[in-house]
Amino acid sequence: MAEIELIGVEKRYGDVVVCSDVNLHIGDGEFLTLLGPSGCGKTTTLNMTAGLDEVTAGEIRMNGQVVNDLTPFERDVAMVFQNYALYPHMTVADNIGFTLKLRKFKKDEIKRRVDDVAEVLELSHVLDRLPRELSGGQQQRVALGRAVIRQPQVFLFDEPFSNLDAALRMRMRVEVKAMHQRLGITSIFVTHDQEEALSLSDRIAIMNGGKIEQIGTPEDVYSRPCSTYVARFIGSPQMDIMVGSIEDRGGRATYSVGSTSFEIPAGAAPSTHGAVDLGVRSEHIRIGQGGTPLKVIVVQPLGSETYVTLGDADLTFNLTARVPGMARYTPGDLLDVSFDPEGLLFFDRESGRRIEADGALA
Amino acid sequence: MSRATRRRIGKGIQIALLVLFSVWTLAPIVWIVLSSVLPQAALTSTPPDIAIENFTLDNYRGIFGEDSELLIGLKNSAIVATLTALVSIALGSAAAYALARLSVPGGNRILLLVLATQMFPGIVVIIPLFIVLSRVGLTDTHLGLIIVYLSFVLPIVIWVMKGFFESIPVALERAAAVDGASTLQTFRLVVLPIAIPPLFATGVFAFIEAWNEFFFAVIIAQTNAKTAPVVLAEFSGQYVSLFGQMVAAAVVASIPVVVLAIVFRRFILRGFAEGAVKG
Repeated sequence: MAEIELIGVEKRYGDVVVCSDVNLHIGDGEFLTLLGPSGCGKTTTLNMTAGLDEVTAGEIRMNGQVVNDLTPFERDVAMVFQNYALYPHMTVADNIGFTLKLRKFKKDEIKRRVDDVAEVLELSHVLDRLPRELSGGQQQRVALGRAVIRQPQVFLFDEPFSNLDAALRMRMRVEVKAMHQRLGITSIFVTHDQEEALSLSDRIAIMNGGKIEQIGTPEDVYSRPCSTYVARFIGSPQMDIMVGSIEDRGGRATYSVGSTSFEIPAGAAPSTHGAVDLGVRSEHIRIGQGGTPLKVIVVQPLGSETYVTLGDADLTFNLTARVPGMARYTPGDLLDVSFDPEGLLFFDRESGRRIEADGALA
Repeated sequence: MSRATRRRIGKGIQIALLVLFSVWTLAPIVWIVLSSVLPQAALTSTPPDIAIENFTLDNYRGIFGEDSELLIGLKNSAIVATLTALVSIALGSAAAYALARLSVPGGNRILLLVLATQMFPGIVVIIPLFIVLSRVGLTDTHLGLIIVYLSFVLPIVIWVMKGFFESIPVALERAAAVDGASTLQTFRLVVLPIAIPPLFATGVFAFIEAWNEFFFAVIIAQTNAKTAPVVLAEFSGQYVSLFGQMVAAAVVASIPVVVLAIVFRRFILRGFAEGAVKG
């Protein structure tokens, strides 16, 4: 078990800066996810933590000790790679036991531990097979087995599910979460899938252009995103962000966008007025309970709920509301739209930062 | 014309071309094998008299007689070709791995330089090469020939193996590092076992190159280290040509290469495919 700190970590190749000023503190036994689009520096951050890439500047500490110059082996980390990285010429048993063999464990001890791990991961019947003879899910479990067998200080996951189909991905998510709950080993998980991040993590660090944009619990980053970047990245359907302005109409704050205006519930508007962006998640859009009439553009029934995309006459913006069950609306219908006060998020147009109630930037 | 007819005609053309190609490739070999088992008279009559009762092993007896030059040539060829193959895959794969994976200063320039050595015709380098070898006393020795052959098979081994090593996902080596393997252990336990097919392919290639080489051998190694192709050429003397014995010797000399190619066919095909295509 380990506590990990990244202090001012930077990675550059010549003039190209991949990561800069990355500061992270990962508590003992914590499950932290690095989330972001491809090229945001999340895998590089993970590789530096693993000891696979050198840091250009800054410090990485494990349990208080600087580990910058230690090999992955000396850091005692285990890693699961995106394309599994199983040794193609070794059987499943040899793949899982390879690390123990390198550590000169006795043969029967290796066998005992491989058998134990295989049983937990339901691989006992394929131990003699080569990786290419396994299904994608089995290969992924072998990769997990290889990581688990040595009971490392830290687990590192580099987009481990991105090659799996949706159903399998869901199952593996449950397996990884169960494994973390059982073993309690500090874990860093890299993904570009926000749903994966929300469902697995104790905390999420959202990365943008080589820097950490926001760190927080899933609840924090979902409900209180610090910027439009985070707001758009987290949540499905994506948060709708309107480009308009807050106006004072006879003492009541309204939000105008194009020729449409919405009433802002009392207390929901920040103290600053003027040109700001307004973001609202689908579950905070109320339909048919009074408010501003908008036209239905698209209806997407999903079984348990229906996404209804609404817009104004000029299509200057649109909003996607979430309605329980199979709602029967037809494109062209006019519906009254209003917002839950707690669901309104205002963002500074220039910086993209969220504006707090007191007018300060998040 | 219906689709089925068109497909049949296409298939017919395909087969005809394949037959033509097979005849083109195999006819000389068949001719040489036939020539080796027929007496010179039967061979030179028009049309050649290939009646079964004319078949004889005299030519083979002739070449394997007492003090057989061919046996010495074959032994020399075997030593030179085997060592060339072994050393070229040992040196070549190590160099290729370094160039593919480690940050070698001036790596690209080294690769170009290695390739550039392939661009000079042998005739250009043979005289300086001969002078250098004779200065260090390596003319007419196995070592001298091996060094010369290495200089032209190594570049190809390096390029093919580099292509192959680059096709191995880096994650595999990173996984080995995380598992606790040193660079050398990673190379030995993870990379090399995967590289066996291309290693065989390039090894067989190097062997065949060295086995068949004539031009350098005839100039550098005329007596003690004389290889099989040089011995073959000597059958065609200034005054008499022992054509029958020459072709018999040619058949014998090609057997090791054919056997190698058949035994390692699977590896050679896979090896060159894997070396050529980046994954």
